[in-house]
Amino acid sequence: MISINTGDGRTESIRIIDVDVHVHENPKEMAPYCDMPWRKSLEMMEEEPGRYIDIPGFAPSLRLDPPFPGGATARKIFTAAQMREDLDSMGIDIGVLFPDHLLTLALLPNRDYAAAVARAYNAWLIDRWLRDNNGLRGALVAAPQDPVDAARQIERYAREPNIIGVYLPTAAVRPLYGDTWYDPLYQAAQSAGLPVLLHSVSVVHPNFPFNLQDFDTALARHTLAHPFSMIANMVSMITTGVPARFPNLKIAFCEAGISWVPFVMWRLDKEYTEQRRQIPFLEDKPSTYIRRFYYCTQPVEEPDDTHDFVSMLHLFGGEDSVMYASDWPHHDFDHPNKVLQLPLSLEAKRKLMGGNAAKLFNLQD
Amino acid sequence: MAEYIVAQEGEIPDGDRRLVQVHGREIGVFNLGGKYYALPNICIHQAGPLCTGRISGTLISNTDTNWKLQWGFEGEIVTCPWHALEFNITTGQCLAFPKRRLRSYTVKVEQGQIKLVL
Repeated sequence: MISINTGDGRTESIRIIDVDVHVHENPKEMAPYCDMPWRKSLEMMEEEPGRYIDIPGFAPSLRLDPPFPGGATARKIFTAAQMREDLDSMGIDIGVLFPDHLLTLALLPNRDYAAAVARAYNAWLIDRWLRDNNGLRGALVAAPQDPVDAARQIERYAREPNIIGVYLPTAAVRPLYGDTWYDPLYQAAQSAGLPVLLHSVSVVHPNFPFNLQDFDTALARHTLAHPFSMIANMVSMITTGVPARFPNLKIAFCEAGISWVPFVMWRLDKEYTEQRRQIPFLEDKPSTYIRRFYYCTQPVEEPDDTHDFVSMLHLFGGEDSVMYASDWPHHDFDHPNKVLQLPLSLEAKRKLMGGNAAKLFNLQD
Repeated sequence: MAEYIVAQEGEIPDGDRRLVQVHGREIGVFNLGGKYYALPNICIHQAGPLCTGRISGTLISNTDTNWKLQWGFEGEIVTCPWHALEFNITTGQCLAFPKRRLRSYTVKVEQGQIKLVL
């Protein structure tokens, strides 16, 4: 419970539910819960050093970089008592437990083994973490490699009082979770009344993001292709220091709309706060540089309430950096009226419809 | 201004720190090669216990290093254990945010006593 100020001089206690905390499972702990022959595999891994979150003996996230010099050390939680104590220290009443290593479960190529590890984790979690009525709740791990087995796990544990959801390992999952391959799992979760929780982890792998080729509609591809490409390249330019090395270089991002900009700006700022030392050539947070870049409107966002567009512009100082573009004659062109109709000030319209472009290109009146 | 004796000389090893409570404030007193510095034990980010973090150096990359990574400020940087925000112990400067600097307290050493001035 945490006391909050109600604003009229009183305080009120509110219950805190934390939907994502991680237990540190290790092969030795899970081995007794695992079916043969895979129990032997877990036993053989007992003494293997595991990198935090990577499955011991397996490096599915393809992290080829060394630990960066300096920085803080990783935290791991090995027991329910330790978790309870930590959550108490933050005023958290209920914590929903997820795994650590098994965040990369979807990448295991051996279907039978992946399913066995998921079953072992579920049995171990219930036995070792969820027996006491201590505010800890758990999400079952569903092995995406075997949705039918995952469905059986859901049916088996649906009535466990402290199981409250199903965790879908999302990092580099293939096929993506829209595939009908997973329907048995969804059917079981729906019948059990358990929500499914998608949770990814820091994995870039031949399976992801390249598996977007599996999209089977132009709509799906077009939704993500432009903005993902801009996001990837902006992240690349910021994290290699292009705007630091070339402080007078003007950079513009075209044909991806603009709603991705505040998203990636804030994601980068968040990462920078924690991992700045990996990109020490930046002299300030990434948003400082991102606000200096230029952006084209098209394909312009069309929210129901056009004021939302104006709010979004405001999030990254877009009045001074966003430029009208039509993309004529392509299928998704925007007529100038689409932007002119936005509830912007006359001054802002002048900037968006030409002033910012004139600044970018040094065009005289 | 008042002075508070927080340690005897020699009690805080070189390159280490001690947490002290003074006047309701938690303060980290650092010994860097016989010079003492004091910073509040509350991070500007999420109020983590920053003075309990690792004391180390940090990475530098700029025109002077021809954009190569170099290790610098060895022993002068404390890293908050919560989210790894780095601070220069000698100045309180936050490395990530040029506009953010911790307040730093004056530390005196007199007759073998380490004193905080608040």
